[in-house]
Amino acid sequence: MAHPAEATSEHGPGVGHVVPIRTLLGVLAVLLVLTIATVAITLFDLGRMNIVVALAIAFVKGALVLLYFMHLRWDRPFNAIVLVSAILFVVLFIGFSLLDTFQYQPEVIPGYAPALEP
Amino acid sequence: MRTSETQLGAAGPAAAPGPSRGDDYLRHGTGIRSWLFTLDHKRIGILYLVSILSAFFLAGMFAVLVRTELLTPGKTIVDADTYNQFFTLHGAVMIFLFIIPGIPAALGNFVLPLMLGAKDVAFPRLNLMSWWLWVTGAVLSVASIVIGAVDTGWTFYTPYSTTTGQKGVVPIVLGVFILGFSSIFTGLNFIVTVHKLRPKGMTWFRMPLFLWAIYSTAVLQVLATPVLGITVALLAAERLMGLGIFDPALGGDPVLFQHFFWFYSHPAVYIMILPAMGVISEVIAVFSRKHIFGYRFIAMSSVAIAILSFLVWGHHMFTSMSPLANMLFSALTFSVSIPSAIKVFNWLATMYKGTIQLRTPMLYALAFIFLFTIGGLTGLFLGMLAVDVHLHDTYFVVAHFHYVMFGGTVMAFLAGLHYWWPKMTGRTFSEIGGQWGFWLVFCGFNLTFFIQFLMGSRGMPRRYYDYLPEQAIYHQISSVGSYLTAVGFFVVAGCLWRSLRQGAPAPANPWGGNSLEWWTPSPPPHDNFAETPVADDPYDYANWTYDPALGGYVRPPGRPA
Amino acid sequence: MGGTFWLPRRGSTFAADVDFAWDLVFWISVFFFVLITSLLVWFVLRYRERPGYVAQPASSHNTPLEIFWSVVPTLIVAGLFWTGYKTYLDMATPPAGAYEIQVTGQKWNWLFTYPNGYVDGQLHVPEDTPVRLVMTSQDVMHAFFVPTFRVKRDVLPGRYTDLWFEAIEPGTHEVLCAEYCGTSHSTMLTKVVVHERADYERWLAEASDFLRLLPPAEAGQLLYAQRGCKQCHSVDGKAGIGPTLQGLFGHDQPLTGGGSVRVDENYIRESVLVPRAKIAAGYEAVMPSYQGRLRDEEIAAIVEYLKTLKGSP
Repeated sequence: MAHPAEATSEHGPGVGHVVPIRTLLGVLAVLLVLTIATVAITLFDLGRMNIVVALAIAFVKGALVLLYFMHLRWDRPFNAIVLVSAILFVVLFIGFSLLDTFQYQPEVIPGYAPALEP
Repeated sequence: MRTSETQLGAAGPAAAPGPSRGDDYLRHGTGIRSWLFTLDHKRIGILYLVSILSAFFLAGMFAVLVRTELLTPGKTIVDADTYNQFFTLHGAVMIFLFIIPGIPAALGNFVLPLMLGAKDVAFPRLNLMSWWLWVTGAVLSVASIVIGAVDTGWTFYTPYSTTTGQKGVVPIVLGVFILGFSSIFTGLNFIVTVHKLRPKGMTWFRMPLFLWAIYSTAVLQVLATPVLGITVALLAAERLMGLGIFDPALGGDPVLFQHFFWFYSHPAVYIMILPAMGVISEVIAVFSRKHIFGYRFIAMSSVAIAILSFLVWGHHMFTSMSPLANMLFSALTFSVSIPSAIKVFNWLATMYKGTIQLRTPMLYALAFIFLFTIGGLTGLFLGMLAVDVHLHDTYFVVAHFHYVMFGGTVMAFLAGLHYWWPKMTGRTFSEIGGQWGFWLVFCGFNLTFFIQFLMGSRGMPRRYYDYLPEQAIYHQISSVGSYLTAVGFFVVAGCLWRSLRQGAPAPANPWGGNSLEWWTPSPPPHDNFAETPVADDPYDYANWTYDPALGGYVRPPGRPA
Repeated sequence: MGGTFWLPRRGSTFAADVDFAWDLVFWISVFFFVLITSLLVWFVLRYRERPGYVAQPASSHNTPLEIFWSVVPTLIVAGLFWTGYKTYLDMATPPAGAYEIQVTGQKWNWLFTYPNGYVDGQLHVPEDTPVRLVMTSQDVMHAFFVPTFRVKRDVLPGRYTDLWFEAIEPGTHEVLCAEYCGTSHSTMLTKVVVHERADYERWLAEASDFLRLLPPAEAGQLLYAQRGCKQCHSVDGKAGIGPTLQGLFGHDQPLTGGGSVRVDENYIRESVLVPRAKIAAGYEAVMPSYQGRLRDEEIAAIVEYLKTLKGSP
C-alpha cells in the first residue's frame, strides 16, 4: 500500500508521510553514480577546476541526502532555512579563509618542510 | 498546598506569596545525589553558579599573580616560563570556564523557564549533561596545570603550540573540546525552549529582552562552537600524529590555524556580551520604573549582532593577513559596532523621565553602560587598519577587551546576580554591603585597566614578562588596582554569603519587575508555577505597588493577571 | 622619550598619517564618551527617586530617533574605515626600488642580512630612503614591531612577509617582538639605527669587513653577540638555556646519553652546524642549526673567541 508523495499535511510535517521505496532507491542510485564519478574524475587533472568539480559533486550529493533521505523536501520550510544558513556560514568561513590564503601564496616558500627531511 | 499556589493563577497574588515553604526547589529533595543528578533547571543553574564562580576565583588568582610579577621589570616573584603559564591559565580558565558559560548557564538556566512561565527547559536531561560536561572539561583543563602547565597563551597559536615541550597542551585542548559540547548543548536547549515553551500571549515581540539576548547567544553557541571543537581536535592530532596542517615545518600553514581559531573565537566574544546586554535591558527598565525604550530595535540588534559577529574574525589577524583580506575585514568590523551603539542609546532613552532607583543591581548596570562605552569606542581604534598596525598585540588590546569583558560582561553578571539573588535564594542581601562591593570593584577595575590604554599606545607589547624601565610606574598603578579589585570581590562575595545565613526572607517581587519570574515566590517552588501564567507586557510596571512592610512589590487586590 | 601623551615620537614618513587616524578616532570617541556619560549622570541626578518626585509620561519608542542614531554612527564609522584604510594601503605598498634588507626572526633574536651578505644583529638604515624588510622566521611566529615607525608585521616560518618605512632623521629606535614566542619573548629586542645618508655606505663597508678589520677573537665576540649565541650561552659561568662558554674550549663535555667529548675546533663546528648531534648533559635539544648562516671563516673566528674565555665552566 504505497502512500503517494504528498506535501506536508496540515497536522504538521512528516506525520503519515512515507517516502516511496522507488524514490529512495532512485536517489541511492544517483548517489552511487556520483561517487563513481568522484573517483573517476581524479584520473584527469583539471588544474584549478579540480576543487570546483569536487565541491560541486559533493554539494549535489549532500543536497540529495538532505532533501530525500533526511526528508527535508517535505518538511517545514523553517528547517530548510536553518540548514541552508548553516551551509552559507561554512561557505563564508572557507571562502574568506581561502581568499586570504590564495592572496599570500606567492610569499610562501615552496617545499618548505624542514621537519620532514630525512 | 494547592490554595497557596493558585494565588499565582488568574487572580494574581492577593496577599504577597510568602518566602520559602516546604516545597520550594531548594528543599525539594535532600542529599548530594538530589543535587548532582537533578533535572531541575533551577538547581542546575545553582550548580553552574557555584562552578563558574570557583573558576572565576581560580582565574582571578592567576591574574593577581600576573600583576604581582609585573610590579618590577625582570623577575619579581617567578621566572619567565612560570609567568607565561600564569597568563595563559588566567586567560584560558577565565574564558572557557567562566565567561563563556557565564550568564547563560548560571543565570539563564535559572531564569529562562521562569520568564516563560514554564516548568523547565525543553530538555532537562540534556541540561544536566551540559553541566557534567562542564565539570569534565574543567577537570581536564585544570589537570593540564599539573601534567605540564601550558604557556602558549589562550589562543594556542601554531607552530608554538604544536612544537612546545609542555605536555599539558593536549589535555587542555581536549578539555576545551569537551567544554565546547557543554556550550553547544546549552545553546540547543535554549533555542528549543524559546521556540516551543512560550506561554499563551507571549509572541516573539512580547518576550523579555533577556530572552532575545539568550536566544541570539544560543544560536551563536550552536553555530560557532563546533568550529572550535574541530580546531582544537586538529591541533591535538597535529601534536600527537605530526599531521602537518598548521606547522610549516611539516608543510602546514600557521595562518590557517588563526582563521580556524578566530572563526569561533570572535562570535565567542558575542556569546560573552549578548547575555550581558540582555541583563542590562531588564535591570535598566525595572530600576527606572519605565517601559524599555525601543524594544524592537533592541531585540533586532541582538539578532544583528549575532549574525554580523560571523563576518569579522579577521580583525584579530590584521598583521598576518593579506591586504585584501584586511580591507574586507576592517570594513565589516565597523558594521558590528552599530547595533551595540543602538542598544546604549536606547538604554539611556529608557532612563529619560524614569524614576531611577540606585539599588545595587542598577549601580552595576549603570557602570556597564559607562565601561562598555569605553570598551566599545576603543574597539573602533582597533578596527581601523592603520591604527591597528600600531596597537595590535599591545596593552591597548588588553585594556580594550578587559573593558568589554570585565567592565561589560562581569559587571552585567554581577548586576544579574544581585537582581535575581532574592529569587534564587529567597534571601535579601544588605544594600550597604552591595554598594561597598560595587564601588571597590568599579574603582579597582578602572585603576587596573585604564592606564593600560596608555601603555599600549606607547608601544608596550602584551604577554611580556620583562619591559622597559620607563613603563614600570604604569605597571605598578595597574597592579595596585588589581589588588583593590580583588578586595572588592571579596566584599561582594562576603555580602552575598552573609545574606544566605542572616539575610531577611525575600518577597516574591523585591524590585517590582513584571516578567513572569516575579510572579512566583522567592525561592520558587519545585515546578515553578501551579498553572501556566498568561503573558503580560514584561515592561509594564504599573500593576505593581511597593509595600514597605514587606520590602517588595505587590499587585493590588482585584487586579487581573 | 618625545612624542605626544599617547603616542611615541614619530620616526617615519607615514607616522604622521597614522597619528592623524589616531587623532580622528580619539576625538570622535571622546565626544561620544562625554555625551553618553553626561546624559547618564544627568538622567540619574534629574530623574532619581526622591520624595516629591513624580515621573512625567514619556514615549517608549521613536522610530525617527532610532533611524537617526543608527545612520549617523554608520556614516561616522564609514569615515573611520576609509581613513584607516587609505593610510594602511600606503603602508602595505612598498615603493619600487626600495632598499631591501632581509630579516630573520628566531627564538629569541633578530638577524638582518644586508644586500652585500653581511649579517648583523641590529638594523642599520639610511635616513630619507624607503627601506623594505623581507622577513621570515626560523621556528615559530614572531612579529617585528617598531613603535616609533608605527610598523608591525608578523614574521612566519615557511613564508615571507614584508613591511616598509622611510626614516625621517638619524637616531635610534626600539624594535620589539610582538607575537608571543616562548620564554624570552619579552627580551627579543633590538634597535634600528638610522644613519645620515652620506654616512651609511661607509658604515656598511666597515661593518661588513669585520673579519678583516678586527682580530679574529674580537670578530668572534661580535658574532657571539649578534648572531643569537648570547641569548642562550653566557660567558661568565652562569648556565642558561645552553651551557656557559666560559672555559668550554679544551674542556671534556659530558653528553646526554653517556660519554663525553673533548671540546675542540671540530666539536665547535659540529655544534654550530648540527647541534642535535651531541647534546650536553643536563640541557635540552633546542639549539637551531646555523647551517648556511655562518661561514667557515666566521666559525673559525668564534673558535678563536672561545679560546680567550678562560676559567672553569
